[in-house]
Amino acid sequence: MAKEFVAEPDLQFTRDVIAAGGSDVKKCYQCATCSVACPISPDNSPYPRKEMIWAQWGLKDRLVNDPDIWLCHHCNDCSTQCPRGANPGDLMKAVRKMVIEENSWPSFLGGLVGQPSLMVLTLGIPVAVVLFLVYINGGFRAPQPLNYGEFINYLYIQGVYTFALVFAVVSMVLSLKKYWANLEANCPINVGAVRKPFVPSLIEAFKEILPHDKFKECEANNIRYASHLMVFWGMIGLFVTTAIVAFNIDILHIAPPSRGGPGTVPIKILGNVSAIAFVLGLGIMIVRRITQPDQAGNSSYFDWLFLFVIFGTGATGLLTELVRWAGSAPGAYFLYAVHLMFVLALLLYLPFSKFAHIGYRTLAIAWGKSAGRDVTLPVVPNYAPVPAQEGGAEETPQA
Amino acid sequence: MDHKIGVYIDTGYGIGEALDIEALCTVATGEFSVPVCRAESYWNEPDKLAIIRNDIAGEGLTAVLIAGPSPRVHQDAFKFDGTIVERANLREHVVWCQPPNHEDTQMLAEDYIRMWIVKTSKYEDRPPFMEETSKDILVIGGGMTGMTAALEAAAAGYQVYLVEKEPQLGGWANKYAKVFTGKPPYTELTDSPVQEKIAAVNKSDKIKVFAGHRVFRISGAPGMFDVIVRADGPWIEKLDTAQNEWLAAKKAREAAGGAAGEKKEAEGEPTEPEVPDDPSEFAHEVVRVGSVVLAAGWRPEEPQNAEHLGYGTLPDVITNVQLEELAAKGKITRPSDGKEVSSIAFIECMGPEVEHPLLYGSNVSSLVALKQAQYLRKSNPDGKAFVFYNNMRTPGQYEVFYQAMQDDPGVFLSKGIPTGVASAASGLAVDVKDTLLGEQLRVNVDLVVLSTGMVPVTKDAAVLNLKYRQGPFLPENPYGFNDSHFICFPYETQRTGIYTAGCVRQPMDFQSCETDATGAALKAIQCMELVAQGKAVHPRAGDESFPEIFVTRCTQCKRCTEECPFGAYDEQPNGTPMPNPTRCRRCAICMGSCPERIISFRDHSVDMIGSMVKAMSVPDEYAEKPRVVVFICENDAYPVLDMAGMHRLQYSAFVRFIPLRCLGNINMVWIADALSKGIDGIMLIGCKYGDDYQCHFVKGSELAEYRMGKISETLQRLVLESDRINVQQLAIDEYYKLPGIINDFIELLSGFDPNPYKGF
Ligand code: SF4
Ligand code: SF4
Ligand code: SF4
Ligand code: SF4
Repeated sequence: MAKEFVAEPDLQFTRDVIAAGGSDVKKCYQCATCSVACPISPDNSPYPRKEMIWAQWGLKDRLVNDPDIWLCHHCNDCSTQCPRGANPGDLMKAVRKMVIEENSWPSFLGGLVGQPSLMVLTLGIPVAVVLFLVYINGGFRAPQPLNYGEFINYLYIQGVYTFALVFAVVSMVLSLKKYWANLEANCPINVGAVRKPFVPSLIEAFKEILPHDKFKECEANNIRYASHLMVFWGMIGLFVTTAIVAFNIDILHIAPPSRGGPGTVPIKILGNVSAIAFVLGLGIMIVRRITQPDQAGNSSYFDWLFLFVIFGTGATGLLTELVRWAGSAPGAYFLYAVHLMFVLALLLYLPFSKFAHIGYRTLAIAWGKSAGRDVTLPVVPNYAPVPAQEGGAEETPQA
Repeated sequence: MDHKIGVYIDTGYGIGEALDIEALCTVATGEFSVPVCRAESYWNEPDKLAIIRNDIAGEGLTAVLIAGPSPRVHQDAFKFDGTIVERANLREHVVWCQPPNHEDTQMLAEDYIRMWIVKTSKYEDRPPFMEETSKDILVIGGGMTGMTAALEAAAAGYQVYLVEKEPQLGGWANKYAKVFTGKPPYTELTDSPVQEKIAAVNKSDKIKVFAGHRVFRISGAPGMFDVIVRADGPWIEKLDTAQNEWLAAKKAREAAGGAAGEKKEAEGEPTEPEVPDDPSEFAHEVVRVGSVVLAAGWRPEEPQNAEHLGYGTLPDVITNVQLEELAAKGKITRPSDGKEVSSIAFIECMGPEVEHPLLYGSNVSSLVALKQAQYLRKSNPDGKAFVFYNNMRTPGQYEVFYQAMQDDPGVFLSKGIPTGVASAASGLAVDVKDTLLGEQLRVNVDLVVLSTGMVPVTKDAAVLNLKYRQGPFLPENPYGFNDSHFICFPYETQRTGIYTAGCVRQPMDFQSCETDATGAALKAIQCMELVAQGKAVHPRAGDESFPEIFVTRCTQCKRCTEECPFGAYDEQPNGTPMPNPTRCRRCAICMGSCPERIISFRDHSVDMIGSMVKAMSVPDEYAEKPRVVVFICENDAYPVLDMAGMHRLQYSAFVRFIPLRCLGNINMVWIADALSKGIDGIMLIGCKYGDDYQCHFVKGSELAEYRMGKISETLQRLVLESDRINVQQLAIDEYYKLPGIINDFIELLSGFDPNPYKGF
């Protein structure tokens, strides 16, 4: 039964969506090609068509509480098929940005990170913090033999980065809590009353995310699947490497691999392989965004900022190592400092940048699992021959 | 009349290989003793044409029969001044659709030679109809369309009389706030260009304007219309009422009369409505013109079934015409309290309960809604315009305007059916179902604007007030549009020399009106020029023949007067028909309707076609070669046959096609002649009729069907099966159906005994 609701279009929201990257949203004439083209949209209330008209009509309440926008993996199968050039894939992306801003805690930071006009401030904060650390360690020096701990005291680093990490985690958790509560209260999609409990849903979500199962289904853009998979696992590898090294230094008090501590070879292999996958994957993404905008979609400041920070993190990490091998201590220290800036930016802005999608998407997928939302029925081609019946005994008589 | 006929058989195109040409010549020279019969390939080539010219001069030929390709090709080549030209089709109708060198193919070709020699020999010598004609134009309606037509005709050098009922020119265009530009980038609106048009009209020394005037009466015929122009006044209502009553009575009589075409006895029937005034009693002017452009325009359709939308009860529910007037004053304000409007719901479709919520709705209403949405958005950056439509129709470059409006964040478009409008706290609450959002929704707005349809003014009144035997009105289709084979001939009406343009013809926008006006002006000029040369207008443009009545045998049955689709006949005081040749389209429907068979053309007559039927050779019943005569309309069915030939579609060789100007020519005597000659079956192929008719003469094929319904008497008298007569409709693109239709009929006939009259 259709229920009536009072549509009160929020003109500003539509303008914001347009500014956030959904610039063609008003062109949509609701033909639904996109929902058919999307390889992973469910049969019931499929996206992204409904999101298009909600955005056109400025129905903010619906869009920011719509978990479907996170089920979209922005493969742009839909945008390439849209007869009107309305770029539904980009609309989905733009709404994701707005959802991150909308739910972030503290909320003023949400707006800050996505604002191109505030770029200097956004990038300036981590730069200033690291420069300050260098300064209180006696300025830029290049102690020999190479020892990063002498360049900047590990304690300072621990202090700052632990704070940043805790801040990021707390902020992310609070943001996601708010988001989950919104989903529960205001989700605009009709789903059945029977819901799976949270934890099993989350486990199911992980099972899907780890191998990138949904991503694999995107047709137009298979390379995105590969590059994202590389970045994803590269990052996990790097995270594990960092954790082991930190554990070695802080708990076991043994030398880090850079100074030939125990287990150097396996740690280095893990770290380097991960770093290469990470940087390579990101490199592919960046090159495609530049050379194939029609497939990769329009790239906004929000996209570029995130790519810049995350690529910078990986690239400066790798470069630091390379320069160290090459034997240039000042170069290694310099790059190390830059690397620290990127890492800080990555951590600090995790809940407010595009990076936050790791949290939101996971949660939305879990919500989808819990609501039975994203079950895509297997497609049965209608030309499939009906399997012949055994023995022909049950053949229906021909009229 | 005796003609010296030269027969020229074309052996090109495979004709020479498929037929025994010598035997064909023998038919011509032997059976008909024609003085010249030659066989060569490609007679249309200059050296061959020279041979024909030589023969005409040397042998004194008065007529030439080319037996070769379809008469639809090489028409320009086969023109010999002062000599009759006829064309028998041995290509598409014989060798391209029959097996070569077959006995039946040869018989078919020989029959066509016989039939066409006979046809040619029946031509009469009559000069075209010429009279002193006027080349001035009357334009009725001083709106954008009328003014454009007047200016265009004046620019072409013709004197124009422009009659406008209002005291000033401009019409609706005076009331519009803004109009579409019709120019790139197509996304903006502009001020109405009406003032410039008015100035141009007033400046032109070729246009005489009668503002505040009406047409009291038009009598006469193309080239010689006499128009009485009279100052507007209460008389017009009296006149309209009287005429509408007359029309209603006429329609009631027809409805009671049963099937279309059935003619009641004429007794007691008013031949024309009572006209309340006599021109001698009032001030008037008479102008003589050659043709008329009717650009009388439209009036808004009152919204029907709109009570649930608050129309008539809620002051802030208005029509788009009212909104236009509000917007023309400046800011759009609410009628109820004068508050400036910041949100409007435009409703294009009133609801699904009735089949045509807006009978006269059109793409124009979509365009107007978008245009008015822009008024709001331009005057208020936070304004919201909702447009609920059933069909968003924005043809041509208007698509660009639509896209621009769609891109505007303050314009909300959705398919949807409004279910109700109620007053709410701050304005109106509009409920809409079946929206693109997939649900029922409500929007709160300041103003609700309903679309209106555009009703042609001819729906309400005759406007032209014709003094024609068939009445003062232009014949109209069921919706009141003055239709005459709309799909092929825009501007044409069923009154020759009178051309409609603009919204009286079809709802349309400004740009279309201007284009339309230009087209209609051109048609009007064309008509006057052709009439001055004694020629017909479309679709037989250039035809110099015209119908003549052998009046001494007329029984005053009035069938011709009534059945002429173009109202060409008036009535003499003694009751005999009075022809107006310049009104005539030369369809020859009257020839088919006359029971006395006394209406004829110089190149088309009852006797001529009857003689063609009789010229066929009919083998005796033991030969097992049945014969079928197929009468075909030459407008659509003939091209169908040609196309079937071009596609080399094969069908029975037992059929003989006789083209007619229109299936409405069909005269019972031909059927009787054919049957009593031993022809086994008769088929009629005409154009589609009914609501989506394609008949070039509007009702010819319908009349033929009707007349055939009455043939059963004849058949009973001859003791023959009624299925021997078969009527078919074919559209011009349905050539692929032809073999099936022909062969099925032959198959059907094979179930009957041969016609017992063979050999009599
Ligand atoms: S394919 Fe394009 S126009 Fe069609 S519904 Fe999707 S976004 Fe709209
Ligand atoms: S971008 Fe890909 S996943 Fe997202 S809606 Fe379009 S087709 Fe579906
Ligand atoms: S030929 Fe046709 S148009 Fe002319 S008078 Fe006869 S019926 Fe009317
Ligand atoms: S149909 Fe023939 S007989 Fe009848 S009025 Fe006309 S001309 Fe005379």
